Amino acid sequence: MSAPPPLVELRAVTRSFREGDRERVVLRGADAAVHRGELAVLVGKSGSGKSTVLNLVAGIDLPTGGEVRVDGVALSRLSERQRTLFRRRHVGFVFQFYNLIPTLTVEENLLLPLELQGRATPPRRQAALDLLAEVGLADRAGAFPDRLSGGEQQRVAVARALAHDPALVLADEPTGNLDLETGLAVLALLDRLTRRAGRTMLMVTHSADVVGLADRVFRIEDCRLIEGPAAARAAGAS
Amino acid sequence: MTPLLRRSALRHFARHPWQGGLAVLGVALGVAVVVGVDLANASARRAFTLSTEAVVGRATHQVAGGPGGLPEETFRRLVLEAGVEAAAPVVEDWVTVERGTAMPGEPRRVLHLLGLDPLSEAPFRPYLRPGDAGFPLEAFLLRPGAAVLAAETAQELGLAPGDELRLLAAGRRREVELVGVLEPEDAAAGRALGDLLLVDVATAQELLGRVGRLDGIDLRLADGAPGAALLARLRRALPAGTELAPAASRAARTLEMTRAFRVNLTALSFLALVCGVFLIYNAITFSVVQRRSLLGTLRALGVTRGEVFALVLGEALLVGAAGSALGLAAGVALGQGLVRLVTQTINDLYFVLSVRELAVPPAVLAKGALLGMAATLLAALAPAHEATAAPPRAVLTRSSLEAAARRALPRATAAGGALLALGGLLLAVPGPLALSFAGLFGLIFGAALLAPAGTVLLMRLLRPLAGGVFGVLGRMAAGGVVAALSRTGVAVAALVVAVSVAVGVGTMIDSFRATVVRWLDASLGADLYVAAAGRPGTPLDPALAERAAALPGVARVDAIRRAEVLSARGPLRVLAVQVGAQGRGAFELRQGRRSEAWPEVAAGRAVLVSEPLAHRLDLRPGSRLRFSTAAGERDFAVAGVYADYATEQGMALLALPVYRRLWDDPFLSGLSLHLQPGADAAAVERALRRAAGADRPLAVTANRELKRRSLAVFDRTFRITAVLRLLAGLVAFVGVLSSLMALQLERARELGVLRAHGLTRGQLWRLVTAQTGLLGLAAGLLALPLGLALAAVMVHVVNRRSFGWTVRLDVAPEVFLQPLALAIGAALLAGLYPAWRMARTAPAEALREE
Repeated sequence: MSAPPPLVELRAVTRSFREGDRERVVLRGADAAVHRGELAVLVGKSGSGKSTVLNLVAGIDLPTGGEVRVDGVALSRLSERQRTLFRRRHVGFVFQFYNLIPTLTVEENLLLPLELQGRATPPRRQAALDLLAEVGLADRAGAFPDRLSGGEQQRVAVARALAHDPALVLADEPTGNLDLETGLAVLALLDRLTRRAGRTMLMVTHSADVVGLADRVFRIEDCRLIEGPAAARAAGAS
Repeated sequence: MTPLLRRSALRHFARHPWQGGLAVLGVALGVAVVVGVDLANASARRAFTLSTEAVVGRATHQVAGGPGGLPEETFRRLVLEAGVEAAAPVVEDWVTVERGTAMPGEPRRVLHLLGLDPLSEAPFRPYLRPGDAGFPLEAFLLRPGAAVLAAETAQELGLAPGDELRLLAAGRRREVELVGVLEPEDAAAGRALGDLLLVDVATAQELLGRVGRLDGIDLRLADGAPGAALLARLRRALPAGTELAPAASRAARTLEMTRAFRVNLTALSFLALVCGVFLIYNAITFSVVQRRSLLGTLRALGVTRGEVFALVLGEALLVGAAGSALGLAAGVALGQGLVRLVTQTINDLYFVLSVRELAVPPAVLAKGALLGMAATLLAALAPAHEATAAPPRAVLTRSSLEAAARRALPRATAAGGALLALGGLLLAVPGPLALSFAGLFGLIFGAALLAPAGTVLLMRLLRPLAGGVFGVLGRMAAGGVVAALSRTGVAVAALVVAVSVAVGVGTMIDSFRATVVRWLDASLGADLYVAAAGRPGTPLDPALAERAAALPGVARVDAIRRAEVLSARGPLRVLAVQVGAQGRGAFELRQGRRSEAWPEVAAGRAVLVSEPLAHRLDLRPGSRLRFSTAAGERDFAVAGVYADYATEQGMALLALPVYRRLWDDPFLSGLSLHLQPGADAAAVERALRRAAGADRPLAVTANRELKRRSLAVFDRTFRITAVLRLLAGLVAFVGVLSSLMALQLERARELGVLRAHGLTRGQLWRLVTAQTGLLGLAAGLLALPLGLALAAVMVHVVNRRSFGWTVRLDVAPEVFLQPLALAIGAALLAGLYPAWRMARTAPAEALREE
């Protein structure tokens, strides 16, 4: 039985940064694969390079060595502009600090990814607004982000990440700035909305609850990317 | 760019109105000054062209004589013998209206007296239509002293047909009778005719005391070969000392006299725009810095670098458009004020010009708008580029920005050094005036780029001092200036430019003034100066010199004659003087030897030339100058170059008897009376006026009064410079204000932390004030050498190349304190609002921001 190709694939990926005269290695020879419809979780200590992996998968950052493939496309072979357009089309982002555009209303924030792609047709707009109803904020469509609570802002961010129907959702500690209860609600929402449409999600988190839901768990330790139940245990123990 | 991105950008500026507002103000002020100066210049030029057109009419060529004009029979000979069909005699001069005109204190109305022959006029001046029912031809021709004015002018003077108009013509009180008024067809014709007083040729000759003489003959010659053949024939038929030239060339020469003046004004106006560029740069940079995290989010969401660049540039364009629109409106208003100053200067220094309204040519407005947009784009390029470098999604901290600023520091410093060198090079090699200004701007921009490095250096030196005065807060203030170099660098640069320009222009004016004062002291040695009342240059009765010499109390009388004569190098002003040994002291020779030069001048073999003339015609001792005199062509050697600051056109000086012999002009322009010790000047003046006769009013001026008036003209000339300097300073001040506000508001969180740790409001005030004070101190220290360099360049290069004057650079001791006081004062003032706002903000509120 031949398995379908993974949506996200890291092949012998190395990433190092120059710091003055010396080289700081963040990731060395990392291999990983995340398949369509999976929820993959990335754990590790602060500064271990979790965000670097997320940036590499998003095409924001490029590996020093090896290859990152998303949906079969080798990101290193694309120009900066092509990678940006690729991200625009295929990736949705949820950040720790929500990062809503403060000068756009909730509804406008939601429509921005669609509009950037030039795909803001009336049916898609309606679908985006339905998504807003689904995250329970239909009545706040005209409000600016600074009028919303943290949990509400993150719910808008979740809707924004999904509004243009991306294949891959990247989430960087989406509950890190929320209280436990609100965080759990947001997690449940994310899980429900991504899985229902068969989307793939890669999430950086410290939360043991997410690790429990995950299909795959990766851990970064000493610049190595390790996959396996051991990671889940380690995260659960922390 | 998508509509949502655009909307987001617009809302950003709507939420930070002062930020966008200051940028708009910067563009607006810069554009306003450029447009205002341009409009004033254009209006003066247009008024000149209109009045020239009215006088010249449709003439293609003009015959002109020397100071004595042409004999009347030249006209007859041209028509009868040379076969010219269209020719018209002209007698003209400026006359002063005696009363019933001006408001108290205003100068009296001056009219252009134009003596014409209505029967010859048909081909030339369309407004003189003898066939028209309205034109009082019979009275105009037959009644002695008959005159015609434009209806509007007559109304302004309170005159109706049949009224008498009292004039001062050629130094004598005269009357003419208004026999009719001209109703111009349209407003343009009305403006053209506004200053004309039309009389018959014979009336003009009689009024001006030039019976049998003409000032010129207007001709209409056919194009092509027949015209050229006729022209050649005419040239042979004309007597010596006359010139036959295309009508347009005379007007062009007159206008050309004001070129250097106009170029200097334009350059000053650009300075205001340069200061405006700083402002825009600053505001746009700040808006980018403020939104780095937002831009990062957009980049993560898939907005490309190109789209971010377009977004920032689009915002800048909006600012540029709003600023330019505002600037155009303000420029027209400013032009109303400036045109008065420009006209005043032209009347003081060049020729009679009355500008009745501000002309607003669309081209000037288009140029202003284009400059505003171009300046904005230029200023926004760097921040727009920086915005594209915002890494996707990273929540960027100031420190990474400051690290970038510090990395850019060596490059900026190197570029500044290169610009300084390039500017110096442009100034060192001889070239056109525009190149000198390019060099000057090179120095200014170069120094601006060096300012951040200079600030870092000075802060290192000042840190211990600030610590000594303000304790730990002082050290923090000094450190803060360096830590926030990306903002403080721009603030210091803007302040350095503004202060050094103020110091440079101020020192230039002071030096110039001191030089003129020294020159006046040296050249004005007589006790009383006498001229005919009315316009300068009005002829004086030659017999008055002898009568004055015979008056009791008068020791010596020197007579001079000023005139414009023809030469191989175009018309030249000459000054004919009595070159007795006593009078020579008034002329300081800058080139040539006194003992050799004066005897040659007295013998009629040589002339002296003033510095500006030597500069304009590239003359030096040993050069030759060929004059076209009534007695034929005459060649003179240049025996020396003398100091003279009276006209920028320059003059040639020759001996009065030589002038009289060659040009057949008996009149004088002025007398200078040296009195015997103890003589009563007032009594001499009364006796002199009696000797002149009641109908020939005199202008008698005491030595001290003449110096005062000369300096008043000087000061008036530089008033417009002072106004422009003030405006440039204003733009820079707004720039500093916005930089400091940006800096302090950005530090809200940092200051909030300090407040939370127990910094009192008073201490916060002191911290902010110490920092702005340090910025001012740094700017002042850096502005001093630049200001002096600018003064030196303006005095020794720009002034030399514009006018040819030698001016000694005088640096007053207070110049060393002025920039410091100016810069620190401006910085402290600009820091008031941020300090107040910071002190007022509750620490919790400041901490919550981000």
